[in-house]
Order: sequence, then structure tokens, then C-alpha cells
Amino acid sequence: MNCEYTPSEERILVTGSNGFIGVRVVEHLLEYGLTNVRCFVRPSSNLENLKKILSEHPNAKTIELVSGDLLSRDDCRQAARDVSLIIHLAAGMEKSFAGAVMNSALATRNLIDAFLKYGSPRRFVNVSSFAVYSNRSLKPNGLLDETCPLELAPQERFDAYGFGKLKQEEVVQEYAKDYGLACVTLRPGYVFGPGKEELSGRVGIKTFGPFIQVNGSNQLPLTFVDNCAEAIVLAGLRPGIDGEVFNVVDDNLLTGHQFLKASKKAKRFQSIRVPYWLAYAASFFWEKYSKWSNGQLPPVFNTRRCAAEWKNQRYSNEKLKARLGWRPRVPMNQAMSAFLAQFGTNGET
Amino acid sequence: MAKPDQYKTLRVAIVGCGKIADQHVDAIRRIPGSNIVALCDLEPLMARQLGERFGILQCFSDLPRMLEAASPDVVHITTPPQSHYTVARECLDSGAHVYIEKPFTVTAGEADALIQLANRHSLSVTAGHNLQFTPEMLEMRRLVDESFLGGRPVHLESYFSYDLGDASYAKGLLGNQNHWVRKLPGQLLHNIISHGVAKLSEFLDDDLVDIFAVADQSPRLKTVDGERILDELRVLIRDKNGTTGFFCFSTQLKGLNQLHLHGPTGSITIDHSSGSIIRNKHQSDKSYLTYFLPPLRAAREHLRNARINITNFVGQRLHQDFGMKELIERFHNSIRKGSPPPIPYREIILTARIMDEIFSQIYRDRGRQAEDRRQTTDNIKQSEANVSLVTCH
Repeated sequence: MNCEYTPSEERILVTGSNGFIGVRVVEHLLEYGLTNVRCFVRPSSNLENLKKILSEHPNAKTIELVSGDLLSRDDCRQAARDVSLIIHLAAGMEKSFAGAVMNSALATRNLIDAFLKYGSPRRFVNVSSFAVYSNRSLKPNGLLDETCPLELAPQERFDAYGFGKLKQEEVVQEYAKDYGLACVTLRPGYVFGPGKEELSGRVGIKTFGPFIQVNGSNQLPLTFVDNCAEAIVLAGLRPGIDGEVFNVVDDNLLTGHQFLKASKKAKRFQSIRVPYWLAYAASFFWEKYSKWSNGQLPPVFNTRRCAAEWKNQRYSNEKLKARLGWRPRVPMNQAMSAFLAQFGTNGET
Repeated sequence: MAKPDQYKTLRVAIVGCGKIADQHVDAIRRIPGSNIVALCDLEPLMARQLGERFGILQCFSDLPRMLEAASPDVVHITTPPQSHYTVARECLDSGAHVYIEKPFTVTAGEADALIQLANRHSLSVTAGHNLQFTPEMLEMRRLVDESFLGGRPVHLESYFSYDLGDASYAKGLLGNQNHWVRKLPGQLLHNIISHGVAKLSEFLDDDLVDIFAVADQSPRLKTVDGERILDELRVLIRDKNGTTGFFCFSTQLKGLNQLHLHGPTGSITIDHSSGSIIRNKHQSDKSYLTYFLPPLRAAREHLRNARINITNFVGQRLHQDFGMKELIERFHNSIRKGSPPPIPYREIILTARIMDEIFSQIYRDRGRQAEDRRQTTDNIKQSEANVSLVTCH
């Protein structure tokens, strides 16, 4: 593959490059012939996956590995020096709100500061998440796209990750406005693929023992890890898209029930099906009890989360296709086979 | 200092808006007569995110400005321990009472100096030893006061575990050579063990005769961190009255968080993980009854705990942060009434002294061991090299 959008000597920084998506992003950059890549990893990371990818690419010799912590400004300086494109994948996966903000928003702030000071900024690709959206105002089966409102009460949703991502987006927007930072934001749906065995919370929950499938007829905003990585790389390379936001979902999306059925063929486990109205009612009462009891039970189940994860919605990748020229490299049936193969048995969707 | 007024609404400020600050805000909001008026963090972003989530409008990144603008009656310090002493001093000098998260200070000297400063200003300070105020610890204290043990404790055991595998905190710590925890004299242990040590301090005399500490690394930590962070600690303590205390901290014993008190005629076991307290009167049963009755009595104790916990849950008295809320409420009430703070200063200083001694032993020994290993054969047992006996007065 050739890269027609950017000179191959441009230095690119990929944060979170050893993560589930990051490794694929690095691989795709290499496939585009972009070898002037700096991979930023945590010092405690097991680099096995990344090193495997690098060893398989003959032109990966110029790839630079830098380890550090984005909460350290010194480490950010090392990471961003002479870089013109940053693909920012590192994310705070913490359960606490403060931890999520620290590792998402604060880390991003440090990185952009260093980028503006020590880099040669051309673009900052901010990888966010579907978790920032609110679908409360959407009707069932309504279309959730880039124009939908963001979650205004993440505290009530009790979603630290989503809150961290919202704050991260705010930081990026601030820098775009105040310092003219050229940025593109990507909001992937549920990224799946080999290397990530757990089922999406959008399929159901495992909190109470057997797997509880919620709704089942809800379409899942799936994106296979390679397809997602392709979109992220294109967001860094394609000209004329600064300031844009793109949702990342694949074609031929499956419903929760279809996804679970396929998964159960490959990996046997018990599940119970709960309709959406019942999940919503349970969430409603849980939330009320949580408030009434002054938080004796934390509001882990609440109507905002219930709607965000299990309400029937449709998703679109039209903008991604139209503006980035993105097409899913791996069709859904092949993606599912690759996902299920990690369990030892191929399942059919 | 203002005159005590038991009906006064306390103006509370929080300095340090990291993870633990959320718990403080949650707890304080449930305390009648305590009102959070300001937040402060060196990172404005962190103060803002906390303020935004809890509707607290005054957010600062400069401590003197916050103290001047918000004039808090009490400041909760939830910053990394290295800053506790200086931040607390500044707050006390401004006329505010101070609640300091654990560990109270980095050294016993700092703890002593802060308490003296508070006394000079006629203000109160307390340490975030919130596990001392869980329902089971409150019941234990009542039993001890009623002489359930049959005299002063003869032997104490405190077990405290921490799951390094699950905690995102540990990931950050292990991944960052410059993490503030690594810069503490006792590193990981320094930030965690005060809860477990404080339980012993409550029953030990200030005059300690022996402290004997050994430490090592868990196998998991060895694989990721070489030999720099210790996470397995055992300590034996004896005071001048002959009361002995054993402290065990481990990252391998998942979920173990207990206190055992043994007196001449009775024993009490507190299990924080299940919120239980098991009472055991030392008595001998005749013949084969010794095999039947004690297990039945233990079963009755466990059932009693289940009943109490269910009753408390139904009555909304089983919040997971019960201990923190209880401690904060008692501290705030003591400020209003002008009464002594809930944790005696003696205990705070003794806890700090014990920790100082532990770290001086294990890290000194650690250095010596490394030297020994270089010079001697590999088959020297680590436990032998760790042995030390120090008199601590």
C-alpha cells in the first residue's frame, strides 16, 4: 500500500501503541510505508504484541520505542519532540472518575502542550469513544451519528471512562480554539477482535453470575479492530478534515442477540435474556434506591446507562466513508470468525 | 480560633482532588451541618472536574488564595503524603482545623510537629485512619470497654492485604519510576500500612521494647519490578507491659483484612471484609462437648453478624464508606463542641513511630542484603539476612 497523503519522512507519535488498537494502528502505518513512527508505551507494558508486529515488518527498523507516563511532562516532551502527527490512543481505563480524568484529560493536556512546544504540529488525532454520547433524546431505532448530543450528566451515568473521554475532548477542543491545534476526533463504537475476549457491556452483564443478555434486538456499534485502526490512520493522513468528528462503526452490524449466539457457539456459557423494558425498570428502581439510601448502593445501574447501552439505535459510518474514503477492510462475517477463533472453535454468525 | 458552637455549619475545603477526594465529598455531603465550600488542586483541571460533578463552585489551584477566599473552618488534605506536613501547617496557620488522609505525615517527627502546632493554635487535627470507625470496630471498642477480654490485651494481630493485580493504582505505580509513592521512605508500604498499624497502636503502650520487621517481595512483583519495591511485610512488636502485636501486610493474601485481640479470658476477631466481629469467651467444655459446642457458638456468632449486617443494610446504615463518614462526622462534631478529636494524638504519633522504625529496618536490611548477596554465596537464606532486633524508645 502507498500513502498518498503524507510524506513518509513525517514523524508520527502513537500513544497507547501497545494496546489492543494501538498495535494494529502501528501495523497499518507500516503497511502504508510510514516508518518514521515513535511508539509510546507504559514502562510496565508487556511489549510482546508490539514487538511481534515489528518483527514481522522488514521496514520496521526505524520504529522508535519510547516508554514513559503521559502524566509526566518530561516524558511528554520526549514523546512529542520533532513529531508532526500524533495519534493519541492512550486512555484512562480507571474505575474512579478522578483516575479517568487524570489518565485521559490531564495526560492529553500534557501531551498537547509538549506537542505545541517541542513538535512540529500538523495534526492531533484524538481517539475518543461512543461513551461520550447521550441517546436519551433519541427515539427507539433513531439514528445515532456525529450530530447527536454529548452526555451532559456523566456523574449520573456513573461512567468514569465516559467522563474521562468527555473531559479529554474538551481539552482538545480548548486547544483547537485557543491555540489553533489542528485536530480530528474519532469516536469508535465497540472495538472487537482477537486479543479481547470479553463481551461488550452492550450485549449484557455478568455482574450477577450467569450472563444476562439485555434487549438482544439492539444493534451493536461494532467495529473490528483492523477496520478501526484503518480509520484512525486515515484520520491522521487525509487532508482537509481538521476539526471534524467521525464515528467509527462497521457495515452489516449485528444485534446483541446475534453476537451472543455466535459467541456461545465458540465458548459455551449460560445466559438469560432480559427485555429492554425490564432492564430499564430495574435500572430506574436501582437508581431511585441509590438516591434514597444516600448511595448505600452506588448507582452502577441507572436509566442513562441503560439507554446508552441497550436502547435500540441505528448507527452510521456514512461520514467516515465520504470524508476519509474509509471502507471496512475486513467484512463482518470474517471479523466475527477472527474474533471467535481465539476461543478455539470457529463460530458462524 | 472561634468559640465552639455545636450548631455551627462547618465550612469545609478539600485540598487535593484525586481519587480519595471523591470519597471525602461523598461522606461530607451526608453529614448534617458540614458544607463543602471550596476545592483546591495544583491542577485546575482536577479541581474543576470534582467541582463540576458535585456542584462545588469555588475551585482553586493556589492554597493561600483558597484559604483567604473561602475561609474554611476545616480543611481535608488528600494530597500525596509528601505535602501533608507543609499543606497542613499552612492550613493550621490560617486558623483551620485539619483532617489529613493517611499516612498522616512522612515521618513521626513531622507528625509530632503538626500536633504541637495545632495545640499552639488551639485547633484540632486528625488522621484518616477510617478503618478504626467501621461498625465492627465500634462494637469491638464497646466490648473492650466492658472488659470482654478480661483485662488488657495480651496479644494483638493485624492483617492487611492489598490486591496489586486489580488496582489501577498499582499499575500507575509500577509503570512510573517517578510516582510519588516510590519516593516515600517506605514506598508502597508507606502509603498503605498505616490502617493496619493504627489498629495495634490503639492497644500498645507508647513505650515499645521491641520491633522486629522483615520484608520481601511477592513473586508477582519480582517479575515486574526487580528488587526495588517491597510488598510483603511481617512485624512483631512488644511494649513495656508485655503486650505483643503482630502485623502482616501482604499482596498475596487476597481479601485478608482482620484484627485479632486476645485477652486473659476472651478474644475478639474482626473481619473487615465481611464486616463481622466474632466474640470468643475462653471456656472449657466437658468431655466431647469441647468438639461440639465451640463450633456451634462460632456458628451462632456468624449468624448474629449476618443478621446485624442485613438489618443495617435495610436501615441504610451499611455504606461502604461507613468508617470514613463516621470518623469525619466525629471529627467535625469535636470541632463544634470543642472536645478532643476522635483519634487520640498518642495513637497518631505511635503509628508514625512504628512505621518509621519498620522502614528504617527493612530498607536498611534490604541494602545490606543486596551487599551480602554480592559478596556471599547464593544459598544464604534471605530470612537469615533479614534478622534484626532493635530497641525502640
